[in-house]
Amino acid sequence: MKIKDMKTRCVWLAVVVVSATLTCGRWLTSAAAADTSSSGSVTGMVKFDGNPPKASRIDMSSDPNCKSGASTAMTEDVVAGANGSLENVVVFVADGLEGRTFQPPAQPAVLEQKGCSYRPHVVAIQANQKLNVVNSDATTHNIHPMPANNRESNMIQPPGVPLDLTFAREEIAIPVKCNVHPWMRGYIAVFKHPYFAVTGKDGGFELKDLPPGTYTITAWHGKLGTQSQKVTVGAGQNPKLDFVFKQ
Amino acid sequence: MHRMANKTNLTMAFILLFCALTSHAQQSHIGHLVGNAKHGKALYQRYCIFCHGAQGDGNGDSAPYLDPKPRDFTKATFKCRSTPSGDLPLDSDLYDTITRGVHASGMPSWRPLLRQDRTDLVAYIKTFSPRFQEEQPVAPIQIPSEPPTSPDSVKRGGQLFQSMNCGLCHGKEGRGNGPSAASLTDTRGYPIRPFDLTSGTRLKCGDSDTGIFRDLTTGLDGTPMPSFASALKPDQIWDLVHYVATLRAASK
Amino acid sequence: MGDGRMKKAGRLLLLAIVFASVRPALAIPAFARKYGLPCSACHTSWPMLNNFGQTFKDNGYQLGNGRDAPIYQQPEYWPITFRVTPQWHRESNDRVAVDKVAGSAASGQVEASVASSGFDTSGIDILSGGTLSNNISFLVQPFINSGSSSIAQAWVRFDNLARTRWLNVKLGEFELDEPISQERNLLLSNTGGSYYNYFFTPPGDRSFAVLGGNQLGLEISGHSENDYSRYSMALLSTFPSHTYSGYANFTQSFELPKLGLQRIGVYGYLGEAPTYSQTSGGAPIPGAGLGNRSFYRAGAYGMWYVGKFDFDTFYLHGQDNVFLGNSVPANQPSALPPGAAGPAWNGGFIEAHYTYNPRFVLIGKYELIRMSRQANSEIRSDLGNLDNWAVGYRWYPIMNPRGGLAWVQEYSRLLNAGAAPLSGRDDATSSLLMGFDFDF
Repeated sequence: MKIKDMKTRCVWLAVVVVSATLTCGRWLTSAAAADTSSSGSVTGMVKFDGNPPKASRIDMSSDPNCKSGASTAMTEDVVAGANGSLENVVVFVADGLEGRTFQPPAQPAVLEQKGCSYRPHVVAIQANQKLNVVNSDATTHNIHPMPANNRESNMIQPPGVPLDLTFAREEIAIPVKCNVHPWMRGYIAVFKHPYFAVTGKDGGFELKDLPPGTYTITAWHGKLGTQSQKVTVGAGQNPKLDFVFKQ
Repeated sequence: MHRMANKTNLTMAFILLFCALTSHAQQSHIGHLVGNAKHGKALYQRYCIFCHGAQGDGNGDSAPYLDPKPRDFTKATFKCRSTPSGDLPLDSDLYDTITRGVHASGMPSWRPLLRQDRTDLVAYIKTFSPRFQEEQPVAPIQIPSEPPTSPDSVKRGGQLFQSMNCGLCHGKEGRGNGPSAASLTDTRGYPIRPFDLTSGTRLKCGDSDTGIFRDLTTGLDGTPMPSFASALKPDQIWDLVHYVATLRAASK
Repeated sequence: MGDGRMKKAGRLLLLAIVFASVRPALAIPAFARKYGLPCSACHTSWPMLNNFGQTFKDNGYQLGNGRDAPIYQQPEYWPITFRVTPQWHRESNDRVAVDKVAGSAASGQVEASVASSGFDTSGIDILSGGTLSNNISFLVQPFINSGSSSIAQAWVRFDNLARTRWLNVKLGEFELDEPISQERNLLLSNTGGSYYNYFFTPPGDRSFAVLGGNQLGLEISGHSENDYSRYSMALLSTFPSHTYSGYANFTQSFELPKLGLQRIGVYGYLGEAPTYSQTSGGAPIPGAGLGNRSFYRAGAYGMWYVGKFDFDTFYLHGQDNVFLGNSVPANQPSALPPGAAGPAWNGGFIEAHYTYNPRFVLIGKYELIRMSRQANSEIRSDLGNLDNWAVGYRWYPIMNPRGGLAWVQEYSRLLNAGAAPLSGRDDATSSLLMGFDFDF
């Protein structure tokens, strides 16, 4: 066989493979760009039933440079408002997206170390989305996520030095700590899709732009466990869903 | 003849490329030695299985009696590496750990094993975690040549020891008794003590100044010891190394 | 003097060899318990050591990982190991002089085969060894059998002196750093369970200088980091009569690609033995030997590994002084028989193992000794020659750091030239053994 034929065959093969990949890729990602007019959302509240365990003051005396948080820092195991609203709950779609893939957003999420605590206590991001870790304190921290399903790293971070993390796999949720200040506890929840929310002080959440379908919605709390409920979302519908956690 | 040779070359190249891409995790390369995971498995069952476990998860029969616990290979998180924090170790990092052993732990030095045997073991250990097949191997960190120590370097190192909060774990004098030391745990949740820099005990990942430089740059993954590559330039890390050397000298 | 006396001495020696308990060798689960390592880490098939185990031993029973000193052990850890070998065995001797009519000494004698069989334990070895502190190691080995007991070994070793692994000093009663260690021996039977070359003394010889067994003395040894180069030199007091002997062994290992680790070495054992004693009232005074004359044993050996096979090859040349060889006091040269000379001999063995896995090993051995010069011209040229074959296997159903159990079956046959008591023909003894080797 002549070289010329071999080369031509190689080129054609390459062309076929590349175009197939591009076509398939576009077809897969096109499923994710849902038509918003026919999508719905799930909203609701997460509450805590009963008296939440008392938070205790954190002793930050080992590092005087933590003084900006020293006087007010309390443990954040269970943070419930006066009307029973439960904070720091990650609510997300656990099932029903049928293997669709989603591109991570270009906009990074932010995890801040302020007053020698993590702000927010729970941050939720997409797989391969950049997480900007910011040190707003006057002391050096180390950022040490301890994943079960992702790469573990441990980087020192002096004040003001920027640092980015990404996680390639879904994991709910990765505990993160600072070894230098051992009271610091946070969580990073990583998702394959964009349908998640973290409850704030009011305990409310909204999962927007869901394509019509039946979904399992799960609420996760770092100390109180997980709960799941099934919901069907029709075009333009906004069903409500509440979760109640107990001790 | 020329054309025939080229066709054969091309075919061989494709075959080799295919083999390389699909099987690089079953092999290891140390110098000119190529490790074989199948033979490594027989060696693992002879030498390693009682501590590291049949699944390579560190839960061997002896594990409950050991402190520190044997490495869990399924996570592919290793302390002694020459790659950045979070990245896989090089084959040579695993080989060096097997050869050197880990001081003050249950991991002996396996230097009496043949070089080929140690290379085969590295190939087998890599089969315990899918990360070795999924992730691309990364380049090792650069270790520039060490500038000579000087009182200024030691002074700068001392200031860095302060500003980097080393003392919170290692203690003001480096005795391993900092305010945060008692509560430290490794990633598996077992209590772990920061190294007593004044003790004169050999360091786990290699005992030279270069070894300390590497530990500071890569961090000891799986433990509270972080990487300083994100914050310090190599010159500053050498300053820290020179300061730490004075702490160690205090014990001699 | 004459054939009769030689034959009688030879027979006695033969009986001594046949019925002496074979000293069991060492495998120490106490070390496995201390470090959490499996037996197979140090032993190809215990008690045979691999290079990792040999290095551990040469380091003074230390791994060198900072956890060797007893202070790191749990208080309930005891550095003690027991070894017993409960077995059934059958011994037979082809040519024994027996009365024609049992019970009647007057009926005359014929040569007949005599066999006996039964259960046995070969005694119990208690081994306590390890480190007293960093770089001070020890071993105490009491041995108990049928109501009698002895201290087989008791020594202290100062390891890594001057911070170098090339200088270690051992003091006490210990097994020599033998060319191919008796402790590697996987065979247990009376006939097959030891290396004759280590214990051989020609018929009628009174030197009884042996490489095997335990000796009192001082040993200096050293080795390279991976144990590829080793040396040991010992000063021994073999007989309690201010006579000394010296022993040296040099080993070098090297790797053959694809085959494995190979070891070769040379050794020598040189000393003096007394030929008579000072007496008091006609009775010899113990420890007051006189008329020292010399002996030596020397040779070369190799341990070859080819995948799962390994072979031990051993060569020895031995020579004793003419007075020792003829059991004649050195102050009575006229008492030497015609044609008296220093006896000399050559011997060797080859032992092969096939280690299918750490829990199953096949063993085969052939050993021989050939006299090259007898002590005097009245001795048959082949008296003392022997040939020994042994085959066996060991299977280890239990092998973990807490203890080990091996099932052993072996058959061994020893042929002694000219040792038949009446006819002067070759005499064969054989052993058949099956039993357990239990080490915990």
